[in-house]
Amino acid sequence: MTNRRSFMAGALGSAALVGSSRFSFAQGASTGYPADYADLIAKAKKEGRVAIYTSTDEAQGQPLVEAFKQAYGIAVDYNGLGTTDVYNRVISEGAAGQVGADISWTSSMDLQMVLAAKGLLDVYVSPEAAQLPPTAIYKDMVYGTSIEPVAMIYNKNLLKPEWIPKTRADLVKLLQEHGKELTGKVASFDPEKSGIGFLLAQTDLQNTSSFWDLAKAFGAAEGKVYGSSGAMREKVVSGEQILAFNVIGSYALQWRKESDVIGVSFASDYTSAFQRVASVTKNAPHPAAARLFLDFMLSEKGQAILADKGVPPLRKGYKGPLDAEEIGKLTGGNMKVIPIDEKLVGNMNPKMRAEFFQIWKKAMRGEG
Amino acid sequence: MATGGIARRSEGQVYRVAVIAALVLVVMTPVGLILYQSFLDAPFFDKTARLSLEAYDYVLTDPDFWTALGSTALFAVGLVAVAVPLGAMLAFLLARTDLVGKRWLEPVALVPMFLSSIVLAFGYTVAIGPSGFVSLWMKETFGFKPWSIYSLGGMILIGGLSHVPNVYLYVSSAMRSLPSDLEEAARAAGANIWRVSLDVTLPMVLPSLIFAAALNLLLGFETFGIPLVLGDPSGIVVLTTYIYKVNGIFGTPTYHVMAVVAVCLILITLPLVYFQRLLLRNSRRYAAVGGKGARATPLRLGPSGQVIAWGLIALWLVVSVALPIGGITVRAFVDSWGEGVRLRDHLTLAHFAHLLDTPSLYRGIVNTLVLSVVGGALAVAIYLAIGLAGHRNKGASGAVLDYMVLLPRALPGIIIGLAFFWVFLFVPFLTPFRPTLVSLFVAYTVVGLSYGLRIIQATLMQVAPELEESSRTTGASRGRTWRDTVIPIIRPGLVGAWSLIMIVFLREYATGVYLMGVGTEVVGTLMVSLLTSGSMDQIAALAFLSILFTALGLGFALRLGARIHD
Repeated sequence: MTNRRSFMAGALGSAALVGSSRFSFAQGASTGYPADYADLIAKAKKEGRVAIYTSTDEAQGQPLVEAFKQAYGIAVDYNGLGTTDVYNRVISEGAAGQVGADISWTSSMDLQMVLAAKGLLDVYVSPEAAQLPPTAIYKDMVYGTSIEPVAMIYNKNLLKPEWIPKTRADLVKLLQEHGKELTGKVASFDPEKSGIGFLLAQTDLQNTSSFWDLAKAFGAAEGKVYGSSGAMREKVVSGEQILAFNVIGSYALQWRKESDVIGVSFASDYTSAFQRVASVTKNAPHPAAARLFLDFMLSEKGQAILADKGVPPLRKGYKGPLDAEEIGKLTGGNMKVIPIDEKLVGNMNPKMRAEFFQIWKKAMRGEG
Repeated sequence: MATGGIARRSEGQVYRVAVIAALVLVVMTPVGLILYQSFLDAPFFDKTARLSLEAYDYVLTDPDFWTALGSTALFAVGLVAVAVPLGAMLAFLLARTDLVGKRWLEPVALVPMFLSSIVLAFGYTVAIGPSGFVSLWMKETFGFKPWSIYSLGGMILIGGLSHVPNVYLYVSSAMRSLPSDLEEAARAAGANIWRVSLDVTLPMVLPSLIFAAALNLLLGFETFGIPLVLGDPSGIVVLTTYIYKVNGIFGTPTYHVMAVVAVCLILITLPLVYFQRLLLRNSRRYAAVGGKGARATPLRLGPSGQVIAWGLIALWLVVSVALPIGGITVRAFVDSWGEGVRLRDHLTLAHFAHLLDTPSLYRGIVNTLVLSVVGGALAVAIYLAIGLAGHRNKGASGAVLDYMVLLPRALPGIIIGLAFFWVFLFVPFLTPFRPTLVSLFVAYTVVGLSYGLRIIQATLMQVAPELEESSRTTGASRGRTWRDTVIPIIRPGLVGAWSLIMIVFLREYATGVYLMGVGTEVVGTLMVSLLTSGSMDQIAALAFLSILFTALGLGFALRLGARIHD
């Protein structure tokens, strides 16, 4: 546990605090690119298309795809799926020798690590690798593409201003003390339905001592669980629920811009952050185009496009909207970035999961 | 002469055996795969998979499974209890009486069927959910809101009302071909119109009522969208959502556990199928179109009858059409709704612009139209071929056929889709078809099999045997009898079946969850995948468009059908 914590502190150090980078921007996109990169581009163009399996909302992913098409003239098949679907599909297709995905791009870091362990991902040393924090790369197979803090969203018209949680401790206290008044009005991610929901719950469990207190108070207040951040947004906007926690922050920030009802709050004592991870699939039908797309996602241009849609970049030395400084300010400096490492595979231990869900379901029934 | 007869019989026999063999192959491949998978301890394609009862042990000792089973049974029985009486009554009013305005009422009454249950549940959420516009209005006007749709009772009512058209279609298609002499006799003897409907009309269409009840029970067992949207966030789990969530508990593909639940569903529903066959063994009793068939003349309702009938139908229409469609329509044109939101300030067309901008969504609309119109017609042709193979076939092969038809209905669409995903992934000569609409068409045809075939069978059954017998005695072959005698008589039924299958294909969402890929997007499944990413704006816009398209398609089909009726 402590080991894991120090790991996260490390990630935080490298990812969030390297604002004053030694890398200058004048170096341009070709820095670190091998001399024969033109060959890769030529091959990719010959392949003509690239297929992406992703859990990323089209609102966030489509601009990146458009820019890639424009830069290289390569068609992109964008397959929007849930986190578990991305994973199941890559596994089934790999087993059948009918690989359809060139890139899998998902917020479920642990599921992606299992794909790596099963040998379903390809090794590729991206020329952009040097620009990423070391905790964002696993064995040249899994690459982080973003650092996304988790947020609380609330309905500004319906949540009393003095109740707005500023910290994780506030949230626990609010649910414990005012659970009755908030009955059926609080929402969170469903760890059963959603891979990212489970990852976030595990991260909270490992990094805070109050996780089960929170879960019990949430269950006692007849909290509702959903399979996606967007579903929670819908409920909070309509007023059916007035507060939701563990919502993907990058989406939440975008929604705040679009709706005058939504308020966003990051807990200043503890905010977890995940990395949206991307990999080239083994035996990808368009291997060159896949590599090119991965490089493009990690490039200065690609990262800036993602940032423009609310996805905070993790590239070292990035400056602009949602850079490390801004994210640091938003989250109050206590952000724990989940590193991409083998510990994530531990999340897949069936016994551990069974025990977790047993307690979780009990808490949700209000029997905690 | 004698040898000719034997030759003809064997010719019919060859056809029958060939069709049934093909059907067994298409149905048993996925079902067999599921059965095999249920006895493994890992996905069947995993090299470490071994034969084991582990998955059975897990499921049968999991208290959540038994809770889910109980909720499912309650939901299914409740759904039938709501849908069958209302559907039968609606069918009687529209098919047998002179109800004012029934011509335009019929397509409207079918509207709840156009909607996949996910969209329906979503429409109700916007209309009568805790922040729905009707709920808010109730609260403002009366100070309280007397209902909750996030409960088993709410789900049953919504599920039942949305299945009224399913019952209606089966029962009315049988009622339409009834002669009116018996009803008129009862009227002349002084019975009032409600008594006529209960004592004369309904008994004559008993086969279709039983079919409708049994099938809706099965549909209740496999409903996915309503429990997912309305029940799941509050912890109400049924078998389909149990299957859906069990993956997440293990964190790896738990196809073996999913397969076990599917096998349990088959075991529950097989006795039902057997019972249904038993009831219908003596199908001759129900033959109602005799050799000298008379066209039906409508019963007269009278002024008070009209008012009562209209009151009931209007109430049903408001609850099961106006509310969900209103909810979806509102949601499709606003970017924000609910408490403290003035809808007027949030009107937008952006969701529709986005549909046209996004290639996958745009393709989904085109694919759905192709699959339902062209695919639906092909499917009806296939169902007719199967229906004729089983027609007047009381032998063992007829029993095989009946079970083959009902087996896939016993399985949730999501499981059938998954099984066909495996088939198209692992059977070498089929793999090229996976990224094409062919894969979806095959799966959809299997999913729609019992719907379509029962309609066709119910229609075939009402062709009195003496018509076929007289054709055969004059020397016509079996094929010729079918072509020149049977098919012309049942043509209205075929058009009805086509429109029904078109609707089924349009609203299908679960089957494509695993099968759908780039290039084979369909609207129903796109809504599911958008739900997992939470893009409610696009879901509402897609739902709205699919309602429009289906209404157009149905209008067309009815026009075609109406001409044949006259």
